[in-house]
Amino acid sequence: MSLIALVAAAGALMALTPVIVRLAGTRTGWVLAVALAGLTGWLVALWAQTPDLEQSVPWISAIDVSLRLRLDGLGLLFGVIVLGIGALVMLYSAAYVTEDRPYSFYTLMTLFAASMLVLVLADDLVVMFVAWEFTTLCSYLLILRSGPTARPPATRTLLVTAGGGLSLLAAVSLVIVTTGTTQLSVALADDAWTDQPAFATAVAVLVALAAFTKSAQFPFHAWLPDAMVAPAPVSAYLHAAAMVKAGIYLLLRFADSASNADVWPVLLVTVGVITTIMGGVFALQRTDVKELMAYSTVSQLGLLVAIIGVGGEYAMLAACLHVAAHALFKSAGFMYVGLVERRSGTRDIRELHGLGKAMPWTTAVVAAAMLSMAGIPPLMGFVSKELVLSSSVDAVDAVEAGVGIALLALVGISLAAVFTVAYSARVVVDSIGGEPMELRPVRGTVSMAVAMGVSAGAGVVLGAGVPLVDALIRPAAAAAGAVPEAEIDDLALWHGFNVPLLISVAIIAVGVLVVVQRRRVDRVLDRPLFPGTGVGAVEWLRTSVIAGGRRVGDLTRYDTPAAHLAVPIVLVAVVGLASLAVVAPDSLRPDADRPIDKALLLVIVVGMAVAVASATRLGAVVAVGITGFAVALWYYVLGAADVALTQLLVEILTVVIIVMVLRRLPRTFAARRTGHRIASGVAALTAGVAATIATLVLTGAEDIAPAGEYYLREAENETGGTNVVNTILVDFRALDTFGELVVLAIAGLAMAALLSARGRIGSAPPNIKHTALDDPEVNAVFLRTLAKVVVPLMIFGSAFALYRGHDAPGGGFISALIGAAAVCMIYLAAPSDRWTRRRLPYLVIAGAGVLLSAVVGLIGFVEGSYLRPIDLDPFGIKLSSALIFDLGVYLAVFGVILAAVTLIGGPDDDDPPEEADAQAEADTFVDPSTTADDPKEAAR
Amino acid sequence: MSLALTIGVLTAGGVYLLLDRTFLRVVLGFVVLSHAINLLLFAAGGANRRVEPLGSSLDPSTVADALPQAFVLTAIVIAFSITVYMLVLAITGEESESEEETS
Repeated sequence: MSLIALVAAAGALMALTPVIVRLAGTRTGWVLAVALAGLTGWLVALWAQTPDLEQSVPWISAIDVSLRLRLDGLGLLFGVIVLGIGALVMLYSAAYVTEDRPYSFYTLMTLFAASMLVLVLADDLVVMFVAWEFTTLCSYLLILRSGPTARPPATRTLLVTAGGGLSLLAAVSLVIVTTGTTQLSVALADDAWTDQPAFATAVAVLVALAAFTKSAQFPFHAWLPDAMVAPAPVSAYLHAAAMVKAGIYLLLRFADSASNADVWPVLLVTVGVITTIMGGVFALQRTDVKELMAYSTVSQLGLLVAIIGVGGEYAMLAACLHVAAHALFKSAGFMYVGLVERRSGTRDIRELHGLGKAMPWTTAVVAAAMLSMAGIPPLMGFVSKELVLSSSVDAVDAVEAGVGIALLALVGISLAAVFTVAYSARVVVDSIGGEPMELRPVRGTVSMAVAMGVSAGAGVVLGAGVPLVDALIRPAAAAAGAVPEAEIDDLALWHGFNVPLLISVAIIAVGVLVVVQRRRVDRVLDRPLFPGTGVGAVEWLRTSVIAGGRRVGDLTRYDTPAAHLAVPIVLVAVVGLASLAVVAPDSLRPDADRPIDKALLLVIVVGMAVAVASATRLGAVVAVGITGFAVALWYYVLGAADVALTQLLVEILTVVIIVMVLRRLPRTFAARRTGHRIASGVAALTAGVAATIATLVLTGAEDIAPAGEYYLREAENETGGTNVVNTILVDFRALDTFGELVVLAIAGLAMAALLSARGRIGSAPPNIKHTALDDPEVNAVFLRTLAKVVVPLMIFGSAFALYRGHDAPGGGFISALIGAAAVCMIYLAAPSDRWTRRRLPYLVIAGAGVLLSAVVGLIGFVEGSYLRPIDLDPFGIKLSSALIFDLGVYLAVFGVILAAVTLIGGPDDDDPPEEADAQAEADTFVDPSTTADDPKEAAR
Repeated sequence: MSLALTIGVLTAGGVYLLLDRTFLRVVLGFVVLSHAINLLLFAAGGANRRVEPLGSSLDPSTVADALPQAFVLTAIVIAFSITVYMLVLAITGEESESEEETS
């Protein structure tokens, strides 16, 4: 019996939900209702056993983040609301959700319940933030899954609430940095709140902003009515009882500490009062019951924010009780909306009539909920509103709290309360009387009515019976106000004749007057009150952010790569040159030259000059190839035999593949305009000079770096390999190599996808003039004869290089390149490019390589970590798991090059169905009379 | 000094080719630029120690740094696969995209 187990159970319930849905189908709601009710009981039992229970499981110990959970009064109150209302909503969903297998609905609902539970129990700032974001995501996904029309509202909801999440992230970071702890309870008790006014102010504002977005406060209120496209259970749970209360929870949690900032009460009361009045007016304006409920929620949340802003433990008591009362009557209200819509087919107040006779029980239940919302005695809503009013009155009396703010709260709350009476009445008054409506049968909606009845019934019982929840509400108020529980007043229905009662009576009287005069009020309100709507504003913001981003992107968006690339190249080069002015010239540290260096430089200069000047494609390719060979020599001269070998092989393969491409392209390059050439030349020169200077300034270390020295010293001891480069690749930094294999495999996939999606461009006419060398059949004879000898040698060499790679030049990369070169040899020696029709399973080979490396990595766990090489000793042969890893490297590299040869080197009439292809080949064997080439083809 | 100059020459040539409108030259520019950057990695490890890092009991004062070598080795293969991918781009899609001087 622990908090950790409770949270784990909630998580497990989420994980099990798909299974439950699978087994129970439409009855899932019942199962989950029982489960959540059980969790509620568990939570209460934990509290009864040990109040203020704290538990912790280390999570990210390096930055002191733990799964710290703490069950205090606030956590208990919100936990009970989240799980209890959750149970009722699940019960309701059992009838409401008629899909056969509503996997995503129930999974998201339980995930949401678990996230909310973690949020209210978290005693770690990071955990709290993560849970907060989870509730945002659940809300987004639950709205999104309700249909195609739900996408824009879901996106707007996400934008606003995720924006608030950023604000919370900033607050959390600031608190952690300033107080030096991630533990919420310790951070909230830190001296910084009183000693550093700037810190307190910043965090107060950030926390308030986060809460405003989550709890739909002005000017972030628009998403909540917008989110009403979600089905009734989602609205009842997330957008009335639970998620929107996350903001209220956050405010209550931070209230005591944040109220050290002067801005806190001003901000909360002002925004809360604006929101509560605005929400009330809008609610009075709506004829769609669901929208009315949504604006009513906005209004009630505004009231809560305002009263939290007023501050003091008495106001906290009022807020806590009102949170509970609101959860009950508002969830009942939303459940009613779903039920009445299901049975009557409408939720428009003007179309509902005669429900008093048609569905008397449901009407009675919703009437009870609405009376509670309106604050009519002796219901729970009356008690909580009385507390709210009397705490405001007290605050006005107490000068220290700031009379202006308290007075504003009192007046605003009273005014909003009048609207509340009026719109609560609107929900029922007109729909009771009149001709009974034609309703769909009651069958199958019983559990909806039951869930709604429990919610509303609790609101009735807990009016006179409010002392029953003393044990739930008072500890919460004590926790929020940071005072001992003994200082919190008992709850009672009747407080005697006093000012708040007088105000209440006045509110109800004016409210009733508005109800009586509702036709006239409707006429006044039946018009747009503001030039724009909140939804319009969010939408405008969204589209203009996207348009703004596009405009910024336009600056570098060109059709040609040249214009696109020139900007960053020139910018980097200019920055590089400019930084030389900062660095003293004496920091240039040229490395000592050897004679061969100058020779290589000369070859490269010549190669580059030819490459740049060449008018033909073939010429440019050859020149770049020469440069590549010179670079390979450079590597060799610098003491890197492995790298030189790799470069040499890659250079060969590059040329082979480019030649395959060349046959499809014109022989010469298109002419370039002189202006363009000059501009390119200037950019190239700048970049070249900058690169030279940067190399001189930034490199040329005299001594070997500590990391490099470590590898030289330890490679043999640690891995048993004497080829240090190879040990780095397959042992020390095997994870990097593994990542590279994935890149290679993806490159292979992308090539195949590109070709099948876009098709090849038409073949250019052959560039070779008709000569004796024209016939490829005859032409390739020499190569074919040579290949018979060389290819087996290459395959053997490839295997040998792979095997010895750990100790001598070789290894997976190099040996795969040798193997691929053998493939290229076979390709070049083949009589025609139809050879590629065989379609060797290149992607399978590359994928197998990645998979093999990944699986071999698992062996490393024997010695403690992924990819740690293990020495295996089967049959007395020394074998390291690194060799198998290298084999994976081999396959991945080989697969990709095979893909390139097959895809690029194939014939033009590509992508015929495999069967037709085979058929065509078979035909050539039996039918010698087709074309001149075919007998030779057959002879192959 | 020669190494730095080589890097400069390759960078200049690579940039010039990269800024062309013909796709094959862009690919060649990419290849050359990757040479320049790989050599830059070598320069970072220092060009004064040039003994191959092979065998036992290596002397850190004369043996080349193996770390940049390992980086460059994989960088070469990755750059190669990207080159091949770009070559596939060159021969797919609309012909005019890769070949015509449109303005």
